[in-house]
Amino acid sequence: MPDFMKASLTRISWMTRLTFLEAIRQRFFAFLILLSAALVLSSVSLRFLDFGHGELKFVCDFGFGGMFLFGSVLAVVMSAQLFFAEMDNRTALTLLAKPVSRTEFLVGKFLGVWLVLGVFIFTLSTLLGIILWARCQELTVAAIEVGKAPPELSITGLFSYTGMQWARLGVVAAMILMVASLARTFLFTVIVGSMLVVAGQLQWLAQETLLKPSDLNIFSKLLLTVSTYIIPNLQQFNIGDALTLDHGSVADGAVTLALFSGSCYIVVFLFIGSLMFQRREI
Amino acid sequence: MKTGPAIAVKGLTKDFRIGLRGLKLRAVDNVSFEIPRGQVFGLLGPNGCGKSTTLKIILGLVSPTAGEVSILGFPFATTSARSRTGFLPEAPYFHKFLTGRELVAYCARLSGVKSESVNPAVEEALALTAMTEAGDRTIGTYSKGMLQRIGLAQAIVHDPELVILDEPTAGVDPLGSAAIGQMIKAMKAKGKTIVLCSHLLGQVEQVCDRIAIMDRGKLVLEGRVDDVLTRRDQSIITVENLTPEARRAAEEILAQHGARVTSLTHPRRSLDDLFRELVTGSRDA
Repeated sequence: MPDFMKASLTRISWMTRLTFLEAIRQRFFAFLILLSAALVLSSVSLRFLDFGHGELKFVCDFGFGGMFLFGSVLAVVMSAQLFFAEMDNRTALTLLAKPVSRTEFLVGKFLGVWLVLGVFIFTLSTLLGIILWARCQELTVAAIEVGKAPPELSITGLFSYTGMQWARLGVVAAMILMVASLARTFLFTVIVGSMLVVAGQLQWLAQETLLKPSDLNIFSKLLLTVSTYIIPNLQQFNIGDALTLDHGSVADGAVTLALFSGSCYIVVFLFIGSLMFQRREI
Repeated sequence: MKTGPAIAVKGLTKDFRIGLRGLKLRAVDNVSFEIPRGQVFGLLGPNGCGKSTTLKIILGLVSPTAGEVSILGFPFATTSARSRTGFLPEAPYFHKFLTGRELVAYCARLSGVKSESVNPAVEEALALTAMTEAGDRTIGTYSKGMLQRIGLAQAIVHDPELVILDEPTAGVDPLGSAAIGQMIKAMKAKGKTIVLCSHLLGQVEQVCDRIAIMDRGKLVLEGRVDDVLTRRDQSIITVENLTPEARRAAEEILAQHGARVTSLTHPRRSLDDLFRELVTGSRDA
């Protein structure tokens, strides 16, 4: 590897470390991880509200919901907060006066935030995995006693889903950093970023509308087509039930395709963010 | 190593757009100067005169509207230029959760110090800034003076050729200011080029070889401290080894007026006076 590339990776890794250290010290992170853990744990005692679905599915849905919701909030708020903390506290002045390029700064921020999101999502996933496994053991014994088929649970599938969620949160974090590199305030970034996340979750609707024959005018069709390229389809990462409880129902290549498109969006968002950040006056 | 001045600024202009109508505010107006290597250069001026903007442009933190800047022969804002430069920002703020030693080590790594050289470099920087003992305390517990000193340590840990200090004595007591003055002299003795922005004119006069004074975005004076402070239109006579006759004659004449000849040199006005004269109607008076 050339020396300049090695030096650049070293700087990015140190930016990542600093961002990670700063993030895990924040009360907001501790609060959200405790709240989400409490939600996952409470799913066991609330399983009587299963609305007729299988018990494991209810616990799964509860846990995935917590990961999805709080993970999204954490990704939006923490990405924006860590970026603007550097600007508002003027620590960016010290860092960018060093031989750190703005792209390295932004990539280091992204990786630091993504690492924190990884800690969040894998901690919750491990907790959910333990709960599901323990309950599955009990249900298996009960099912065998009455001669029924034991429930299906794939811990590997659970962690595949966790990986998918981590990739989704990576896309969200990169999108927020792109907005932050253009925006002037934390609040603007959080509001616009949240709107983009909601748009990303609903993007599949635009895709479905385009596939169906409809009487949309050319302008609407054009708008929908452009939006399907610009806004990532975040819904494609939410296949937790299928991966964990019914592995066979996941379409071939769905995971790979989601991860590939997620990686592409991360690279594109960071590239655009980096271009905009070059022009920013510190 | 490239030759030429440490910093060369030519025709530097910076306009800021303000308000919705994009009104133009000229912060730096056609400024040109050169800083020779190995000298201490004082950049002076009242608040809002464009000093910090000029420094930020030199460091690549703000882009100029017009003009050229080179650092140590490299185009400004490049990694090559910044890896040879150390910077202490005005009222420095660092990540409070780090210890002083961690911060300096972290900055050493960002500045390209090799992993095996980090610890010796950190200890040397902490020793030079008298922060060795406080190095293991978190930055959140530091006083203003300690913050300035740890800021100086992070600026010099990678042994840069050029050190830029923006108000290093702001909020620091006289003893701390004197200590920072000593550190600047120590860095100069090691051959560093130092750019110093300060309102402590007495200290600037003591430590700087050259100064530039800015007012309302323009450079109103630039030159060697001795040259700009010396009044060439007046003389002080220092007389030694005079013949007894001549001396007696001179002393007799002077004695009649109650005076005695001891030296011949040029009288100086103080930097404070010069500063006030040039920066008329200072907005922060």
